[in-house]
Amino acid sequence: MTAPMLNRRDAFAGALATLWAVPVVVHAQAATAVPAWTPKALSADEARTLAAACERIMPATDTPGAVAVGVPQFIDRAMADWFEPADVQQLRAGLASLDAQARSRFKAPFAALSGERQDALLRAAEAEGKAASRPHWFPALREFVTVGYFTSEPGATKALRYDPVPGDYRGCVPLKEIGRAWAT
Amino acid sequence: MANLNNKAREERTYDAIVVGSGITGGWAAKELTERGLKTLVLERGGPVRHIADYPTAATDPWQTRYPRGRLPEAELKTKYPMQRRTGYAVTEYTQHFFVRDDENPYSETQRFDWIRGYHVGGRSLTWGRQSYRWSDLDFEANARDGVGVDWPIRYADLAPWYDHVERFIGVSGQAEGLPQLPDGVFQPPMEMNCVEKAFKQRSEARFPERRITIGRAAHLTAPTEEQQALGRGKCMNRNLCMRGCPYGAYFSSNSASLVAAERTGNLQIRPNSIVTTLVHDARTGRASGVKILDAETGQEEEFHAKVIFLCASAIASAWILLNSRSPRFPNGFGNGSDQVGRNLMDHHLGVGAGAEVEGFDDKYYSGRRPNGLYIPRFRNLGDAATRRTDYLRGFGYQGGAGRPSWERPVDGFGADRKAALTQPGPWMVRLGGFGEILPNARNRMTLNTAVKDKHGLPTITFDATIGDNEKAMRKDMAAAAAEMLEAAGFKNVRPFDGDYALGLGIHEMGTARMGRDPRTSVLNARNQMHECPNVFITDGAAMTSSACVNPSLTYMALTARAAAFAAEAGRKGDL
Repeated sequence: MTAPMLNRRDAFAGALATLWAVPVVVHAQAATAVPAWTPKALSADEARTLAAACERIMPATDTPGAVAVGVPQFIDRAMADWFEPADVQQLRAGLASLDAQARSRFKAPFAALSGERQDALLRAAEAEGKAASRPHWFPALREFVTVGYFTSEPGATKALRYDPVPGDYRGCVPLKEIGRAWAT
Repeated sequence: MANLNNKAREERTYDAIVVGSGITGGWAAKELTERGLKTLVLERGGPVRHIADYPTAATDPWQTRYPRGRLPEAELKTKYPMQRRTGYAVTEYTQHFFVRDDENPYSETQRFDWIRGYHVGGRSLTWGRQSYRWSDLDFEANARDGVGVDWPIRYADLAPWYDHVERFIGVSGQAEGLPQLPDGVFQPPMEMNCVEKAFKQRSEARFPERRITIGRAAHLTAPTEEQQALGRGKCMNRNLCMRGCPYGAYFSSNSASLVAAERTGNLQIRPNSIVTTLVHDARTGRASGVKILDAETGQEEEFHAKVIFLCASAIASAWILLNSRSPRFPNGFGNGSDQVGRNLMDHHLGVGAGAEVEGFDDKYYSGRRPNGLYIPRFRNLGDAATRRTDYLRGFGYQGGAGRPSWERPVDGFGADRKAALTQPGPWMVRLGGFGEILPNARNRMTLNTAVKDKHGLPTITFDATIGDNEKAMRKDMAAAAAEMLEAAGFKNVRPFDGDYALGLGIHEMGTARMGRDPRTSVLNARNQMHECPNVFITDGAAMTSSACVNPSLTYMALTARAAAFAAEAGRKGDL
């Protein structure tokens, strides 16, 4: 049962994507140009909201940010073939509420707001998550942004240090010599 | 026609048959072929070629299909409901080395975790590699406590075979001179990190009898010529062992014993060959061979040999015995004692303590050491000082210290949080106990003819659990670990006692135990069946008690010893 269902869902998502292949571009703060991509699980609007939120959660600093390393695509892909249906619902509802808050408070979609305003809405979401008695979408999103970022090639090799074949084990080394946390 | 039949039979006849290609099957194959026996290894799963069939060995974190290589919940639920119980075993990186439960079902009267893989090399590809010798404290335990039956061997019987095995597989470790954990033939030990060294110094000052040493692990740190000639190299500290090691740095059948066996020219491996029964020849009183079911074609075939080694794992070997009924053995092959399938043991784990460490913030490490600390047993060593009144036997700890990386929880979001996660977190220490489980005839597996697997073969029902002795020991396992972490001055010491069901240690043993008396045991002092002298069982089934150390090294030593005996006895016509 499971496999055919999954295939059918994939086919359905593919058909949708072809019909409404709207390139997703993050307008707001990502300084770098973002290539257009076609979401698998999300609508174009949801994907824009997601991308903007990802970039505020894991922004470009001296190392690339979430959008540049493909975290929104990572999360969209996981929503298509990895998340439980309930988790997909929760995250979509979260993105929808983020965008609704943006429109009601600032009269613009979340993705089009200034970084400051986006942060204000995300801080509110974080506070709501901390107060919630049930699992909340914000910590779940933050976790997936973090996983997607640090398991990406730039995240692992630039933001962290990655050594696929260390060779030796040295048990006591000055942190200065390594500089950053190990990716694995 | 008679000539044709003879020829056909000849083609299916070997000097020896080894059932299973895991850690003991590989050893039986090596020892028998090196002694000149034409040997057929029958493996129920498919082929796994060293290196070529380790598809994920070099996969980087960003190359996985799923987040962190974790399988979707729906797939775990439908295909791996039992295998997933470990929490760590079945991932995108390793799933090809574990069975699908939907294709290989079993039943539970009480929960039992049967974690396994069907392929050439078996669990020697995914094992924990910790390698410890038993001592006479262990071999004498049943006799001393009046539990189960006495082991028919002592440490002196096995010591030269431990040497033999360690020399071949390569074990890195530190000699400690402890009677309860005999030293072996060691390659250079791996290094402790700064916090582990501090822990050792501080804890041993308070508890000198609780020796803290580096784990003894089957990884090459200084490969010998013999190991290099087999194509094996030094450990690269990647700690991706369960995916298969492209350097052949940890011991597996695939990287070492089967390679050595193959080079003799006496080895034939037949994958996809499910041994269903041992064939008893009433005329000779011996096993004439085995019947197999070809997993690919569904055809039944028979192979013959003068010597048969069952090395299919404790549970699978017992299954073969129970499934081999004949007029001579109506209750299962060689099961006149009714002990086959009973006395099922494991090591109980998931209990210990953890702590946070202040200081050492400017210290880190380089490389991913595939090994940790070991604290050998320090309870019930035979003297008054270590005697416990609340339980028999003892436990050891495995653990270590490290700094969590980006995976630790950090609140907030944005640049500050990102910067925090690119630096290592605070040092943490963790100790987890591995405890001895007493043999108990009520802990058993039985043949289930009502539920069939995908080949139409009977399956297994488990009915086993830990008892009061293990439960009392668990309390001490958590308390003593916490005590040591406190003594070291660490902060937020938290004892834990998690979920454990028999089997979760993946150290199943005891289902065809060795003993002195055919009425109460299945195998003699040479791992030879009391009731059929040309059948040897040298996997975990043979274990008369469980001790508290990881068992594979002992299985290998028993196998090598039994194979040497079988080859010699066969030559003299004594089988």
